Amino acid sequence: MIAALLVVLAFLALVFFVWLAKGRAATPEPQQLAGRIRPVDVEAFRNLMDPAEESYLRENLSPADFRTIRRERLRAALAYVFCVAGNAAILVRIGEAARHSPEPSIAQAGERLVESALRLRLAAFQAVAKIYLGILLPTVDISSTRLADGYESMTGLVFALGRLQHPARRATAIL
Amino acid sequence: MTFLGILQYYLMIAPHLLLVGVVFCLARHKLYKRFPFFLAYVVFEILQFAVLFTLILLPSTGSERYALAYSIGLGGSTLLRFAVIYEVTVQRFRRHSAVSKLAVPLFRWSVAGLVLLALSLAAYTGGGDLPGIMVVVVALDRAASIVQCGLLLLLFGFSSYLGLSWRSHVLGIALGMGVFASVELANTAIRSHVGRAYASYLDLLTMATYHVCVLIWIWYLWAPEKIPAKNVQQLPEHNLEAWNQELQRFIQQ
Repeated sequence: MIAALLVVLAFLALVFFVWLAKGRAATPEPQQLAGRIRPVDVEAFRNLMDPAEESYLRENLSPADFRTIRRERLRAALAYVFCVAGNAAILVRIGEAARHSPEPSIAQAGERLVESALRLRLAAFQAVAKIYLGILLPTVDISSTRLADGYESMTGLVFALGRLQHPARRATAIL
Repeated sequence: MTFLGILQYYLMIAPHLLLVGVVFCLARHKLYKRFPFFLAYVVFEILQFAVLFTLILLPSTGSERYALAYSIGLGGSTLLRFAVIYEVTVQRFRRHSAVSKLAVPLFRWSVAGLVLLALSLAAYTGGGDLPGIMVVVVALDRAASIVQCGLLLLLFGFSSYLGLSWRSHVLGIALGMGVFASVELANTAIRSHVGRAYASYLDLLTMATYHVCVLIWIWYLWAPEKIPAKNVQQLPEHNLEAWNQELQRFIQQ
């Protein structure tokens, strides 16, 4: 069973390698790529993810309604992030082409564009993971500040407990 | 001599002669400066072949001595392949500081995860009806194939997600390694299941795949690296910085 699974996985990996290598040859022109960029409203996304608005909804809706509304808002936010990530991938391609321009100002702008678009692609990857977690667990507050607060209070408790148990030992040794 | 015998000799000798051509390509474009581990791997493969082929021709060579030499060679080869994958990964992302910061820990953790997975699978599936030391060699070879295939998948997948275009020399080396790692993974998995049955056909498959990989390396390394000559007059308007700030704020919220 495991051997068969490994053979299938190896075959899929082989197809993936060859497909990616072949796909590299068919890159469209930058002008064509630029036409594929879709404008995405950053303000709309900000409103969707506003913690104050979320707190308001949490306080004023029944738990079942809150779960439904929050999932819908997160799905909408996900669509925004996917769209932005798609735009960033296009801008990486355009920036890479611009980097080889004989015009130094365009080449430098291309370099900056690639770095900025790559940072956005990586941020989008993390944001998507966080949004999916929110869709799966709509009642759990997934904000990292809350998590950090939780961690801080937890370590505070461990510190206090450690001092009670071993008054002479440093806290770092316990944590 | 049978057709199978002739084919076996051809697949044993030809790829290693062609590897001399790979060394020539590396020297021609001074690529040994960018890919020292790949050069070391290619030279090691040529020397390993010379030693093993001499042992085959010597009538006094026993099967145990050959198995030992083969195992040592396989170990060296596997280690150098890991070094080449590392080298390709570094070359792939070296220009992009934003990616390098994430890529290094990502690959480090992936290696740890893949090694654990590969060793547990190797221990679980065993080595079929193979004799003595070869059980261990095949199990370790399979574990190494899993890790190498996984790392190359991660490299190709990560690059594809980021939308980065491949430079031809790096792509050629990575593609050759990827093709060999995936076929070798399938090969070792089948070997663990069927044992010594079909061993000569599986050996032929490995050798034929290696031949293809050497041809891939020559194909990609022969030509000078092409810089895409796309005409960019001006860059499109974008709000990347605003989105970058917004997503960072959301991630850290």
